[in-house]
Amino acid sequence: MPNNRENLKTVFTQILEPFALGVLALLFIIPIITVMNLTPLTKQLKKLDVLGVTTQDGVKVTLVGGKHEVFTSENLSKIDEEHYTYSAILNKRASDNYSKPIIELENKNDAEIKLTFLGQTLSNTKSNIFLLVNEKSYRLQDSKGNTYTQEITIQPFEKLTVFLAIENLSGVQFSEEYDMDIKIQDI
Amino acid sequence: MSKLLKRALKISLTPAILMIAGKFLGIMIPSIIYDLEFFVENNIQGLFSIQILFTNPDVTLFINSISNIVMLIILALPTIYFIIKTSIYQSSLQNPRTVVKMTKLNILKWITKQDTTFLQIFIWCTFLIISSAVIIIQSLQNISYQWTGIVAGVVSLFCLWGTVKTFELETDKIYPKENRYY
Repeated sequence: MPNNRENLKTVFTQILEPFALGVLALLFIIPIITVMNLTPLTKQLKKLDVLGVTTQDGVKVTLVGGKHEVFTSENLSKIDEEHYTYSAILNKRASDNYSKPIIELENKNDAEIKLTFLGQTLSNTKSNIFLLVNEKSYRLQDSKGNTYTQEITIQPFEKLTVFLAIENLSGVQFSEEYDMDIKIQDI
Repeated sequence: MSKLLKRALKISLTPAILMIAGKFLGIMIPSIIYDLEFFVENNIQGLFSIQILFTNPDVTLFINSISNIVMLIILALPTIYFIIKTSIYQSSLQNPRTVVKMTKLNILKWITKQDTTFLQIFIWCTFLIISSAVIIIQSLQNISYQWTGIVAGVVSLFCLWGTVKTFELETDKIYPKENRYY
């Protein structure tokens, strides 16, 4: 028995040795890669493609996100310094009013900034679509499918939460995509 | 598994961790002290997945140089300590004057036990040479100050010379020099 055990131990150590050599090599390679990886680089902040961090001149546009049974698959994309697009899927729903906070806007300037909003659904579901800001509503699309450009002014250092609201007089049995352009007018 | 491999694995862990920690602390500490803004970007593609970004090229150069020097110091200090300790230990065996000097300097602890092996010095020196090579390459690429490359080169050459001397001392134990012993 002891002989068998010794033999097994010898075989096991012989199998293990190449792996140990590999681990030893990795102990030298990993720090080199990590050190090279940690070497800092220079990159201008405006080139960072991180939404919601900041834009030029202190206009901050942030997606609120979160879960909602009607508004899903929300996305906020930065096209350029003055142009953003918001998209969401509006799921099938019963006749009712629905709303959800979609975007947070922050004016970090000491001058007021105007933003224009223009959005529409790909198909007409006879829904009224609004933006709600500070208890004021801004109609973006009526039940006939007509769209309206809306302008919202943000005061210096003001922070606003923009809600998207839908009003349905009858139930909608399928999902639809909603796209909205956001343009910064005065910078 | 051979004892040599086991010991090599055990010894390599500390300098490997210290090398990374030195670079990391070298970036973080000056950034905090000078209140420098930096960003971390994730790149899914390629080998270098995480990138630390500064907005100003001068700041990037400064931080990279400082972090390189911190990494070098963290690796060089223990290596030099091991080399000196081993040299003094070997010298004290052959020369009683060394023992007297050690007593005067109150560092007799260094020669009371032999706990530093050649393998330890060799591995630490290898890590030091690797980090020096990285610093020298970065100096040549102008992403680190030139003096950091020069310092790294001098320190690594000094430590390499010390390691070779230690190796000679070790081989002397097995094959003593003819003029001294015969």
